[in-house]
Amino acid sequence: MTRPIFLQIAQVCAVLAIAPLLQGIILQWEERVQRAQGPGIFQPYRDLWKLFHKQLVVPETASFIYWAAPIVAFTCMLTVPILIPVLTNFPLPLSDMGDILGGGLILTLGSFFITLGGLDSGSAYGGIGAARSVMLGILAEPTLILVFVGITLLAKSMLPFVVNHLLAGQSAVYWGPAHLFLVGAFFILLLVETDRLPIHSSTHIEVYMIEEGRILEYSGPLLALLRWASAMKQFILYTIFCNVLLLPWGLSLQGTALGALGAAGGLFLKFSVVGAVVVAVETAQSRLRYYRYQEPLAASFVLAILAIVANQLR
Amino acid sequence: MFAAHLPPLARSLFSLLTITSLLLAFVMLGSRWLNAYLGAFALQSWLIAVLSAAVAYYGGYPELYGIAVLTALFRGLLLPYLLLRITRRLKVDRELHERLAPSSSLVVGGLLVVFAFVVSAHLGATLGLTGTIAVLALTTMLSMKLIGFLMLMVRSEVVSQILGLLVIENGIFLGSQILVPGMPLLIELVILFDLLVVVACLGVLVRYLTVHAGTTSTRDLTRLVG
Amino acid sequence: MSPAIVVAVALLSPLAGAVGCQLIRSPRVAEYLNLAASVIVFVAILRLLPIALHGPYTLLHGYLIVDPLGAWVLLSVAAVYLLASLYSIGYMRTLHTPARLHRFYALFAGFALTMLLGPLMNNIGVYWIAIELTTLVSTFLVGFEKTRESIEAAWKYIVVVSAGISLALLGIILYYWGGSLILGPTYALTWGTLRSVAPHLNPTIALTAFLLVFIGFGTKVGLAPMHTWLPDAHSEGPAPVSAMLSGALLNTAMIGIVRFIQVIDAVRLGALPQTVVVAIGALSLAIAALFITRQTDIKRLMAYSSVEHMGVMTLGFGFGGPLGVAGALYHMLNHSLNKSLMFFGSGNAMHAFRSKRLGRIHHVLSVMPIAGVLWLAGAVAITGAPPFGLFLSEFTILRAGLAGANAWAVFVMLALLVVIFIGFLNHFRAMYFGENPQVAAATSCGQPDAADRFWRVLPMWLALIPLLAMGLWWPSTLSHYFAVIATQLSGDAR
Repeated sequence: MTRPIFLQIAQVCAVLAIAPLLQGIILQWEERVQRAQGPGIFQPYRDLWKLFHKQLVVPETASFIYWAAPIVAFTCMLTVPILIPVLTNFPLPLSDMGDILGGGLILTLGSFFITLGGLDSGSAYGGIGAARSVMLGILAEPTLILVFVGITLLAKSMLPFVVNHLLAGQSAVYWGPAHLFLVGAFFILLLVETDRLPIHSSTHIEVYMIEEGRILEYSGPLLALLRWASAMKQFILYTIFCNVLLLPWGLSLQGTALGALGAAGGLFLKFSVVGAVVVAVETAQSRLRYYRYQEPLAASFVLAILAIVANQLR
Repeated sequence: MFAAHLPPLARSLFSLLTITSLLLAFVMLGSRWLNAYLGAFALQSWLIAVLSAAVAYYGGYPELYGIAVLTALFRGLLLPYLLLRITRRLKVDRELHERLAPSSSLVVGGLLVVFAFVVSAHLGATLGLTGTIAVLALTTMLSMKLIGFLMLMVRSEVVSQILGLLVIENGIFLGSQILVPGMPLLIELVILFDLLVVVACLGVLVRYLTVHAGTTSTRDLTRLVG
Repeated sequence: MSPAIVVAVALLSPLAGAVGCQLIRSPRVAEYLNLAASVIVFVAILRLLPIALHGPYTLLHGYLIVDPLGAWVLLSVAAVYLLASLYSIGYMRTLHTPARLHRFYALFAGFALTMLLGPLMNNIGVYWIAIELTTLVSTFLVGFEKTRESIEAAWKYIVVVSAGISLALLGIILYYWGGSLILGPTYALTWGTLRSVAPHLNPTIALTAFLLVFIGFGTKVGLAPMHTWLPDAHSEGPAPVSAMLSGALLNTAMIGIVRFIQVIDAVRLGALPQTVVVAIGALSLAIAALFITRQTDIKRLMAYSSVEHMGVMTLGFGFGGPLGVAGALYHMLNHSLNKSLMFFGSGNAMHAFRSKRLGRIHHVLSVMPIAGVLWLAGAVAITGAPPFGLFLSEFTILRAGLAGANAWAVFVMLALLVVIFIGFLNHFRAMYFGENPQVAAATSCGQPDAADRFWRVLPMWLALIPLLAMGLWWPSTLSHYFAVIATQLSGDAR
């Protein structure tokens, strides 16, 4: 009886612990692909450590929202792993709190508070970052809903565990066009949500920044929380993409400690694959004008529509 | 009928081929570069050729193997080659002034697919064919038709317009392969040939346009109104 | 004489004409070669009419069909081909393009050949191809003058019509699909097969397919709102080509619509298909009325008049019944003759005044006395005024409409015909009797020599005389002929 509870705690802790590592790996690979040395893969941990020991500087204009935003965002990212299959392929205690839509809602809530925080800081860059991220969000949201609808139609259920079982079990569904197009649509959304669109550089502070702009006024422990939350969001999205849609195999079936460890290792391998693809896409795709941000989203929208249509006619 | 009794693998194959062809139509709709259009069109034609061969195999229509080969040769090689020659001669490699930005046309195209699906699902429902490959073929046929019309409307380069017509033709051909595989060989041959003649005529007209009208964009063809 | 020989003569002579013109490369020889071909075609089709009356014959393994309806359309094609061939001798000499003239006549004969093929086709797929071929050949005739405008018109023509007619192909494939659910996967889709299988077709498929086919061939016929190519193509081609497009080409596409109406009648869907046909016909009239009243270009005026008359014919076929069919068929031949006359007149006026603008043409009678009178008579005729054939046919269509389910369309048609009558003749009033500060003599330059003028006035006489005759007297043989067609259109189906 206690084992599922431990597993659930382990899931959340795994997300908490490995998320910066994923960030570090992707950042290093990006540099390596461009034939640079790049930081070590543990650099994000060192950054977090450093930030937690720094002094906090708060803008004069900031209200309580400025304080609340990082905490809410961090809490949201701690909540979502409970709902999705991170290590096990069966529901754990409290997993039935919400379905895919619920998870999406909580992710969006975190993002919403970061946007509010960016506005609340009163800085011009915070406003720009907030405006841009909301613009992208407005365009990404319908597509995200469509993808969810497609998944729901595919599995006749909104629970990620059911989808996982269906795809892992039936290769005809897995290789059907409906599923493949959903994977394509979700991959583009993944790029949008993890801030890797070809319209800006995600690693540097520059004019076209989106994510960096929103949190430019934060410093010290609050910034550390935001960075950590952002890494966890990326980790969660990768988890959903891998464990639910793309590679639904390799999860712990019984929930033994060994199985959970193996699943964590498997997760690492899957993330390496997806991370490699993301790095390849980001490097190969040339930088676009900022005002072409809607094009990848339109492509994703079309893919989702095609997936739904194909799903009706299996 | 043919599409009603198929092994599951064949159904997945047909479904994948048709939907991928539809996706290629979207690639054409969402791109600005004429070479990207051409590549997508050629690939689409090859997919349709594979589809013909698959229909021949699963449906037992040996003459469709010939059609598959001819489709690959005519639509997959000869037509793209002719169009490539036209683009080379025109020294135009991209669409400069779309009436609708590629991303917006993608979204409109997506809505058109939904419309096509609703119509064909209704048609399929009256025949008791809900959810079969026939409805998918109908959907693809109608969607590619509508996407072709959309391309004709929002693109102004002459080559894009030719490709819009060709997408329409490809859609009809694709749908007819699944819906009516037993269509007499003569008709299919004549339609293939007809397409070639159409493109040849359009090619000659493009040359006239460049020489006598001095433009390759239909945006400039505004003398005749009212 | 067997129908096979007559059909062979009718098809081979323009083919020989086209090949000959291209090979000999002499403009003078090409003129007369084409003329000879057109005379042979006309005689052959006249011979074909009584033969066709004795029921449909199929030739060439069922790929060709000779039936009264097809023969009637062929008559209008042959008549216009003959008149236009006569006229082009006089007209094309004035264009000063002798080096390319043989190619013009080769294309002209080839165009006539494709138009003769259409109504003879029994297999629906091949009929579609024939219609597509007419587009391809005539595109180059439209763009023959190689001005910026004519190339633009040719481009719009081929793109719009090809795109539109592809809808018809989609409809044909849907029909084939619907039929294959009953007849098995492989069969030849002829008009006869489709008609016999029609009562068993799935109504939804049949209706969808009919709408697609109607819009597709309707584009080629020039029905609004798919008519956009028509004014461009008609106004920018040389005058004889405009006459062929308007008087012959539109009819060959119209026969497809008529035959599909027959099929959809047999499916028994109630009044819906007829209502669609009637509504599109009425819309064409309305659009034509709007553009005719505010037109500034003489040939576009004629082109919109074609849209109008195609709308009238569509109304006639949509009303249906023996009276509607007879009226529409009579209208078809009358319109072919009359529109040829109008385009010939426009060609002459354009040549005399060096302009297509209505405002530049004035005091016509002082510049071209005989041709001017003929043209004016044609203008009166084409608006449906009494002593001419179009009055009779329009009147018959109105009567047919009152008896049918769509009587509202009769009143719409009547009102719009009055508007067109006023609008159209107002332009002619301005051209003939209008007050113009400029002196007429100033622009009437370049009098053609007598031989050319002979060739450009003779076909106008040849068009006007039968038009007048058919207005005064509706021959009983024709009534019988139309009755046979009407029973074939409705009788086989029920």
